[in-house]
Amino acid sequence: MLPDIHCPTIKLGKRSIVVFPYWIGLLILGLLFGLVGAFIVLRDGLHVTGLSNAIPWGLWISIDLSAIAMGGSAFVFGVIVYILRIKRFEAIGKLAVLLGFLGYSTAGMVLLFDLGRPLRFWHPVVYWQPHSLLWEVTMCVVLYLSVLMAELLPIVLEHPLFKTHPWLTRYKALGSLMERAHSFAHSLHKAGPVLAVAGLTLSLLHQASLGATYSVLAGRGIWFNQSAPVQFVFSAMSGGIALLFITSVFVFRVMRPGTVSDSAIYDVARLTGGITLLLTYLRVWDWAVTNYYSFDREVFLQTQILDTIAPYSLTFWLGQALLPVIAGSVLLAAKSIKNFRYLMLAAVIPILAAIITRWNYNFAGLIASISYDPFTPGIILNSYTPTWVEFSVGTLVICYWLLAFSLAARYLPFSSGHDHH
Amino acid sequence: MADSTNKDVEKNVSRRDLLKVGAAILGATGLTQLFSLNSLQVRGKEIPDEGGRKWGMLIDINKCIGCNYCTYACQAVNNLADDMLYNVVTAEETQSGEEYFLSRPCMQCAEAPCVHVCPVEATYYRPDGIVEMNYDRCIGCRYCQVACPYGARVFNWKDPIELSPKSPDFGVAEVENRPRGVVEKCHFCSHRIDRGLEYGLTPGVDREATPACVVVCPTGARVFGDLNDVESPVSKAREEAIVTLRLREELSTEPRVYYIPPTTKKTGPFAGEGES
Repeated sequence: MLPDIHCPTIKLGKRSIVVFPYWIGLLILGLLFGLVGAFIVLRDGLHVTGLSNAIPWGLWISIDLSAIAMGGSAFVFGVIVYILRIKRFEAIGKLAVLLGFLGYSTAGMVLLFDLGRPLRFWHPVVYWQPHSLLWEVTMCVVLYLSVLMAELLPIVLEHPLFKTHPWLTRYKALGSLMERAHSFAHSLHKAGPVLAVAGLTLSLLHQASLGATYSVLAGRGIWFNQSAPVQFVFSAMSGGIALLFITSVFVFRVMRPGTVSDSAIYDVARLTGGITLLLTYLRVWDWAVTNYYSFDREVFLQTQILDTIAPYSLTFWLGQALLPVIAGSVLLAAKSIKNFRYLMLAAVIPILAAIITRWNYNFAGLIASISYDPFTPGIILNSYTPTWVEFSVGTLVICYWLLAFSLAARYLPFSSGHDHH
Repeated sequence: MADSTNKDVEKNVSRRDLLKVGAAILGATGLTQLFSLNSLQVRGKEIPDEGGRKWGMLIDINKCIGCNYCTYACQAVNNLADDMLYNVVTAEETQSGEEYFLSRPCMQCAEAPCVHVCPVEATYYRPDGIVEMNYDRCIGCRYCQVACPYGARVFNWKDPIELSPKSPDFGVAEVENRPRGVVEKCHFCSHRIDRGLEYGLTPGVDREATPACVVVCPTGARVFGDLNDVESPVSKAREEAIVTLRLREELSTEPRVYYIPPTTKKTGPFAGEGES
């Protein structure tokens, strides 16, 4: 059964307006704007972007990295629900699967635009180069998206539409198709633990290799960093679960009150709080190792030059160290604070921290690149300004994410009832 | 009564859950460490040095006058637009402030970062050491550009042009045009080398079999040939040079382009100039 779903309303004078249709309308406008940019970039090629040979990766790759971080809760909750079998998180686990799917599909979509030859996106699957981190990333995204789809399908098919719609009896073919789909979904659901292990492996591999994609590049100074893979994994977990907390409050407390106990939602907050503190600890040690206990002339110069053009160090100390410590502590104390407004406010910070970490990482080594001049090597300051087409395609994928999430939040039954088997 | 027992049970369950999650996180940390260590040891497929030909170049910085002819000839032969540069000539300074010109083709590294990172093996080592592109396979992800410490790779942002502005003054197009959206690079004019060898010519000695930039250089600053052949021009020049260096050697990319640093050997057209 579909639980009662309460849509958020706004009070305008005496009238109370259901926000949902207007919100969807706005997102569709965003999608249309994005489609214009998408069409232009596919027709004219990448010279319509602000990218150059000096900065070949820009806004889109940063969105890609962030979107993947936002899907970081899926593998954690896959393990919690299917392997550790902690029942009270079952409904939240379904939401995590949805977030994972949205994060990864958004990333895949934006990458498609970023490729010079989008129609050859399948090449890594056929032409293997297992030494390449990017090959591994691609394979993991492809495989993990399949896993997420397998995990998501049973959740979508739970909707009464696919069980009790009159057409299912009126059109026999449709009915038998649905029956087959349901039995397929049932076997997929039974394969949950296997999928969870596959998801955990692929996701960890992939988040770690995303960090390693940058950190194996010895020639880029600031990128060449042993702990980047671990940092990427933990920033995805911290940011991803923080997003899961915010969306859980929205989907379960606001829209489906009574489906999930408050204490389970508090536990999600505590989990992200703990991981955020762990991540911050790692980040600070990483800073100390690269900037305090060792001295690398190139890294020093790069940091210096980045600080002159942007608040690079400030975003570290404030956005990745101080605020996450506060937010992490607040979230860890969720059960004593018991105020969803404060907790949601605090949960925004790990999300921003994960995004800042990845944006800084993507741009630092490219904006301040090291020259090959043999006698007086220096740092070359490159500049990059995204064009409107890049923002347009960015809007497209972000609106896709929001639209798919909104529709799912409105229509999907996230009930935890699987007592029939 | 019953309420408090329930609470106790819930507490116990919660504690057990916490332990479970904690153990899972620790396990996950261990796994990431394993994966990250493995992935840091990335090295591409290496073609064993069979003692065959290994093409290399030597650039005498003292002879370079910064005329950019090497760049122009390269653009004409590869049919490149003005903003597509396989070869770059820049004015640099030594530590003592002396100006010199640094011209930079692709280094044709023996341990090329671009080959290691390409996700589809679109860039690969030829048996003769040249790092070449398979333009039909390249997906245009530009990871190789990000990886190259020399900035030697150029992306085809636009559609290929009909005729290079440097043609016919500096040569005519000798290779097929590449499509929009792939990365391309200097290939030591491998088409000239292959064709020349077919006709029994010696690359580095015979003009027709030698890279266009080497042939066009008015001061003979560039020397080309087989690094494994002691009789080749490049080996002889390396023998004669007092000091040679390679760019960013600390990265262990093992470039096959050597430089004679400024002031160590004054034999260029302006030898002796500026000295008192």
